[in-house]
Amino acid sequence: MRKAGKSGKKLRYIWASGALALTAVLSACGGGGSASSDGSVTLNFLHWRGEDVKALEPIIDKFEQANPKIKVEMQTLPSDQYQSTAQAKLSDGSVGDVFASFPGAQFDALAKAGVFTDLTGATWLKSFNADLIAAGQQEGKQLAVPYQLVYNDPIYNVKLFEKYGLTPPKDWEGFLALCQKLKDNGIIPIAFAGADIGPGQFMNTMVMNNEPSEDIFEKVEAGEAKLTDDWWIKTLTQIKELNDKGYFQPDALGTKDAAAGALFIQEKAGMLASGSYQLAQNAAQNPDLQQALLAPITVSASEAKYEGVHTSTFMLAVNSKSKHPEEAKKFLEYLSQPDVAGEYANATGQNVTVDGVSYTSPELKVAQDWTSKKTLFQPRFTIKNGDNQKAVTNSIQAVLGGASPEEAAQEAQAVIDQHLSK
Amino acid sequence: MRAMKHKRALWLFLLPGTLLYLFLFAYPTLSGLFYSFTDWDGVSDSYRMVGLDNYKDSFDSLVFRKTLLNNVKFMLSVVIVQTIVSLVLAILLSRNTRTRVFLRALYFLPAILSSVSVGLIWSFVYDPTIGMLNLGLRGAGLDSLAQNWMGDRHIALYAIAAVQVWAHAGQMMIVFIAGLQSIPGELYESARIDGGNRWQLFRHITWPLLAPASAIVIAYTTIQSFKAFDLIFVMTDGGPNNATEILSTYIYHTAFGNYQFGLASAGSMIFLIVLAVLTYLQFKALRTDRAA
Repeated sequence: MRKAGKSGKKLRYIWASGALALTAVLSACGGGGSASSDGSVTLNFLHWRGEDVKALEPIIDKFEQANPKIKVEMQTLPSDQYQSTAQAKLSDGSVGDVFASFPGAQFDALAKAGVFTDLTGATWLKSFNADLIAAGQQEGKQLAVPYQLVYNDPIYNVKLFEKYGLTPPKDWEGFLALCQKLKDNGIIPIAFAGADIGPGQFMNTMVMNNEPSEDIFEKVEAGEAKLTDDWWIKTLTQIKELNDKGYFQPDALGTKDAAAGALFIQEKAGMLASGSYQLAQNAAQNPDLQQALLAPITVSASEAKYEGVHTSTFMLAVNSKSKHPEEAKKFLEYLSQPDVAGEYANATGQNVTVDGVSYTSPELKVAQDWTSKKTLFQPRFTIKNGDNQKAVTNSIQAVLGGASPEEAAQEAQAVIDQHLSK
Repeated sequence: MRAMKHKRALWLFLLPGTLLYLFLFAYPTLSGLFYSFTDWDGVSDSYRMVGLDNYKDSFDSLVFRKTLLNNVKFMLSVVIVQTIVSLVLAILLSRNTRTRVFLRALYFLPAILSSVSVGLIWSFVYDPTIGMLNLGLRGAGLDSLAQNWMGDRHIALYAIAAVQVWAHAGQMMIVFIAGLQSIPGELYESARIDGGNRWQLFRHITWPLLAPASAIVIAYTTIQSFKAFDLIFVMTDGGPNNATEILSTYIYHTAFGNYQFGLASAGSMIFLIVLAVLTYLQFKALRTDRAA
């Protein structure tokens, strides 16, 4: 047997030290929940809303005071990075005892991977508006709890409307007349961010009554309906009509979110095709602005089924790989209390899905008024495949770029057909 | 014996670099190749082997084919324009005077900005309503030249290519200046004595002797134009209607928007092959030039 010489021993020592150092580094990198010898537990709370950190910190402090053996370590990633890297980390359980998910494609992918703990039957779920948290359900199980509530309906300038004697119209003819009146008075009727968020936001209210169905896009993805059907052709035709008549600002397709927002904030535009999430930001930049929400009704008043569109998002969940699921559920239960949810809402300027919350700012009250209206869950988020979702919004960009509604719809349907054929 | 020890020591010196290469490049590349034969969604623990389906689906996809075409258009625009602009700048600024050194620094400046900052700045410059470019053109009475730079599907890709050239022409100018300054001045003197005019001097001395620098510029610009992910991601995210989608943004959207990691891996492999072939052809052309 060959003996290791002095240098051989030294080399083994170096390897062993290196391996230990690597192990130490890797353990330090692990961000998942941990337990210490005194029985206290640290939960990792992973989400993408860096702008909410200041609002959540005092809430977490109070939770920790009420539950001395549970510490919550908040970790945020920018939303793009959250889309790209969070799911891998969540699926191996290294982070996110409690985590947030986007509705739509990410929720579906995580559900398929079994990352969600089933929360069905938890008593604290009763604190939420049952309709608004339905987006976190799959096959009858409550996998996540949408915490934020957004109304994806255009915002309008109340003072400008009053100045020109305008009120939210009840039908399509009324909407066109309203736009024309604003245009005649030198006001851009609708500030439209055609280059980024505009098509994805505006399509929702435009389609909600043309095909008043909760699952029309699910049918499209299943091959049971087509984008070349009348309801989508009509939607594209109406969007084209708005553009052709000059009711969007010139070259709307090249305008980004910030620039469209600026037109509305500077009161050059009467409406902004975005949603309630934008209200607080607009008010911060122009405190004189009086805002309300208005959804274009694309049919006659008698045919209209929905008054607007809502999205419940920032879907909170407990990781099925968490070592501390009970503590994680306790944290969600704490967030579901109306006073805690109210503190979060008022500090962030975002409405929540929890019932009985008292909002303090006028912008939050604007959206609160909409809870009594008949709204549809954002149709765009019912499109599960990202490629299909992009094909749908691309068809809007295509008509704004000059294509006919029929051509644009056919092009989008071709993408969907490709996915259907797989 | 001593020679053997020396050889072993050399291998040891190579080891850290080799390990890093294997861990950071070879392993991810081979993983990507493996996943390109699966239907993995990037999240689930399980996946199925699907053979060459992802490659077939890629080439069957209308969006992928459009993306490939966009990439070729983008690459050709950037390579041709950037090479010409940087060469012209280099010729004008190759002599070391104070003004020229200052101008070189000025033209190089965009290269030190992050692509995300460049993208954001130019998004505002190109904005059709409040953008500096259209306001400037209209102010100068050139209304007909004001365009919907980012919204017109026929223009958007070239508008981004112009930004890419703006950001990197100064960098390539420096490579050309280094090439120009290495050309012996005696060659020009003797050519002038023989009666050569400026064009003949450029055609028969400058251009042939700049071949190595040109090859570097063209190869680098080609690869750079294929990888212009951040600029496109910030400025248009591939829109409008996929008019600016290139391979790198397509791969990102497929993997992280659609959760189709298998398909995205196949796209990455195609991307790798395209780049490898282009680089091989360019270096082959360089060797041919040298031989000539």
